[in-house]
Amino acid sequence: MPSVCFYFEVHQPWRLKSYNCFRIGYDHDYFDDAANQAILNRVADKCYLPANRLMLELIRRHEGRFRIAYSITGTALEQMEQFRPDVITSFQELAETGCVEFLAETYYHSLSFLYSRPEFVRQVLAHTAKIEALFGQTPSVFRNTELIYNNELASFIDDMGYKGVLCEGLDYALGARSPNFVYHPPHSASFACLLKNYKLSDDIAFRFSDKGWLQWPLTAPKFAHWIHRIAGNGETINLFMDYETFGEHQWAETGIFEFLKNLPTEILRHPDFDFLTPSKVIDRYPVRGEYDVHAFSSWADLERDLSAWLGNSLQHDAMERIYSLEQQVKSADAPDLLDTWARLLTSDHFYYMCTKYWQDGDVHKYFSHYDTPYEGYINYMNVVTDLEYLLEKRVKMQMQVQVQ
Amino acid sequence: MEVLMLGWEFPPLISGGLGVATYGMVKALRASASIRLIVPRSHPSSTLENVRIVGVDRAVKEELIREGHEHDLSELVDDLQRIPLELSPYHSIRAILEETEHSSAPQEYQTVSSITQLGSYFEGHESYGPDIHRKVYLFSRLADLLSRKLDFKLIHAHDWVTYPAGLRIQARTGKPLVLHVHALETDRAGSEVRNDVYELERRALHSADTIIAVSEYTRDQLKRHYGIPPRRVNVVHNGIDPRTTQRRAHPFRDKLVVFLGRVTRQKGPEFLLETAEKVVRVYPRVKFVVAGTGDAFIPLLETMAYRKLGGKFLFTGFLDRRRVDELLSMADVYFMPSVSEPFGLTALEAAQFGVPGVLSRQSGAHEVLPALTADFWDTDKYANYIYALLQYNALHDDLARRSREMASQVTWDAAAAKIAQIYRGLVLN
Repeated sequence: MPSVCFYFEVHQPWRLKSYNCFRIGYDHDYFDDAANQAILNRVADKCYLPANRLMLELIRRHEGRFRIAYSITGTALEQMEQFRPDVITSFQELAETGCVEFLAETYYHSLSFLYSRPEFVRQVLAHTAKIEALFGQTPSVFRNTELIYNNELASFIDDMGYKGVLCEGLDYALGARSPNFVYHPPHSASFACLLKNYKLSDDIAFRFSDKGWLQWPLTAPKFAHWIHRIAGNGETINLFMDYETFGEHQWAETGIFEFLKNLPTEILRHPDFDFLTPSKVIDRYPVRGEYDVHAFSSWADLERDLSAWLGNSLQHDAMERIYSLEQQVKSADAPDLLDTWARLLTSDHFYYMCTKYWQDGDVHKYFSHYDTPYEGYINYMNVVTDLEYLLEKRVKMQMQVQVQ
Repeated sequence: MEVLMLGWEFPPLISGGLGVATYGMVKALRASASIRLIVPRSHPSSTLENVRIVGVDRAVKEELIREGHEHDLSELVDDLQRIPLELSPYHSIRAILEETEHSSAPQEYQTVSSITQLGSYFEGHESYGPDIHRKVYLFSRLADLLSRKLDFKLIHAHDWVTYPAGLRIQARTGKPLVLHVHALETDRAGSEVRNDVYELERRALHSADTIIAVSEYTRDQLKRHYGIPPRRVNVVHNGIDPRTTQRRAHPFRDKLVVFLGRVTRQKGPEFLLETAEKVVRVYPRVKFVVAGTGDAFIPLLETMAYRKLGGKFLFTGFLDRRRVDELLSMADVYFMPSVSEPFGLTALEAAQFGVPGVLSRQSGAHEVLPALTADFWDTDKYANYIYALLQYNALHDDLARRSREMASQVTWDAAAAKIAQIYRGLVLN
């Protein structure tokens, strides 16, 4: 009996304000509250609230047979609490249905696993605490930032006590095998990897409104038919995507909400199919094979590697610079600075510095509020320079206090 | 394909960028076109294999007189007396003149009273000069005469000084005319200018069969100030000859930000100063090197002194090629705050030396270079960028590497291929 496993990523970064060199040493307020609020308002009205309403309606209509999972970053939750508590309430309503599972991830949507294990653990625990506090659930399945993954991550997450992890279904790691089964990493036959079916996921997330696509327009019966074809050759069809797909990446005018509204009915039309959340998939289906990934992979771009965040020397420089402050920040005994520092670890800041598509002159192909990747880097580095200055000052002050 | 090219300068007799560009272009175009180039002055060493170079100065004596054109020439001598020598007060040539050393000496205008003097009119002269209108007129008539013996399918003229010649030959032969815009009067004299040169440009550009502009920026200027629809304008970026360069250490403790070029209003010296003042506040270990001179030099110096920035500036005056190379090999940042810069070859030269640029957005160079750009007046932004390049090595090195790479791709061969394509389109129609 194959299952469809829907998981949606909800994330908003704390975007930086325009911070030029003259502010260094004077202005310690780095974030663009107005822009962050405006963007959250827009996404709340176009995506989070209407999509949540629809999900709730679908869960009720199908009486428990429609199930979904979310991972909501700590930074997104903070912004909702601060600017739009109604979005929190609406997620809480979903949580109360019992048909919604919340996954674990890093609080700050960071690449900390690559740079600092202590910081990674700190962020995962902080995120779990936040999810518990808001939604009364303790996550048992982990998804890393942008599905960044390799064997080492699986092993580490296993040690932290999770029963499974989400990752991209990479062609080169699967070979001729299908992503529609539960796999295990080399280190353990009992730990589960849920692999994104990127073809079907991206049909919704990226191609839905593409009029140049042969399959356009995509309808719920058509998509359900593709799903049903998997019967007999798969147990879990993992549809992983950004939640902002609904109403934000794909506007309401494209018919994305209609599609979503009809999809469960169409899929459930086949009596063998149902919907499961990640932990239930792991409970129900046995692991069918080994999934072996050495180099870090992700769900981003065609490359599906780290190159969106660590593809050039600017990104490496910025990343190393911010992580180099970890010991100083943590020994400063200053929760405000620790939080500021951690907000600067959010992967988006490094994504803005990506030059992959920029040299072709196509600056606007990717989502960024900066004109150029250089602008993103300079702004970020100016902020980090000020944070360094602030830290030094704080440490000096504390030493003076101790002396007195 | 046979092309009649009308230029104003050709090496070794060059005073500005137009001569360099003409040379690079003609050299690369030889592969796809037979070029006959007419220029006012030629030098015995002005040769290029497979290119027929006709210097008006020598051709008058060697060809026209010998071949019995005395009648045409005497008529021209009479006509020439009617061309006024006065320059309008807003004439951009004034600015150019004022910065040359000759400007201090009172100008003596050459008189033309016989046909033999026609040829020598261009000899030993500045290519521009206060009698520029006479030169332009004389050139148009003589180039027309000389072109009668040449076989060509189209005419390609460079900048306003050769446009009248192009128009005259177009009118006589009916052959297609390509006008190549390297700079506009609105660049040189300010966007508001509406003087005689501007009028000449506007009239010529509207009569051209097609227009080539050295940048998207210039195409936009043509639309904005001359009413030329963008579809009539082909953008062909200039090339730069590839070269291997080396970095060298400099003796200063401070980092070097280099400004290279004429110090005229067009180059934005006041924005240079304002930016420097701001950079120094956040990054004191820096020196701004100003290589070049011009009519805005003294005001720059005075304001700099008034703002007590003397210790932060180095003035080198005009530098020859070798010194420019030396300076670029030591520079940390290339700064070009031009108010209006059709192309900006120096930014590419800096890029060849791996010097990242902070460039005015009102320029063409940034269309082919991965530089940091701001509107010419936005000194906060300039300063922020210069600070970042001085402070963050990863940024400096990344941009330096990319600048070098990109500069190596901006070749005359690429430009010539586009121009040849434009020729074919014109001749086929």
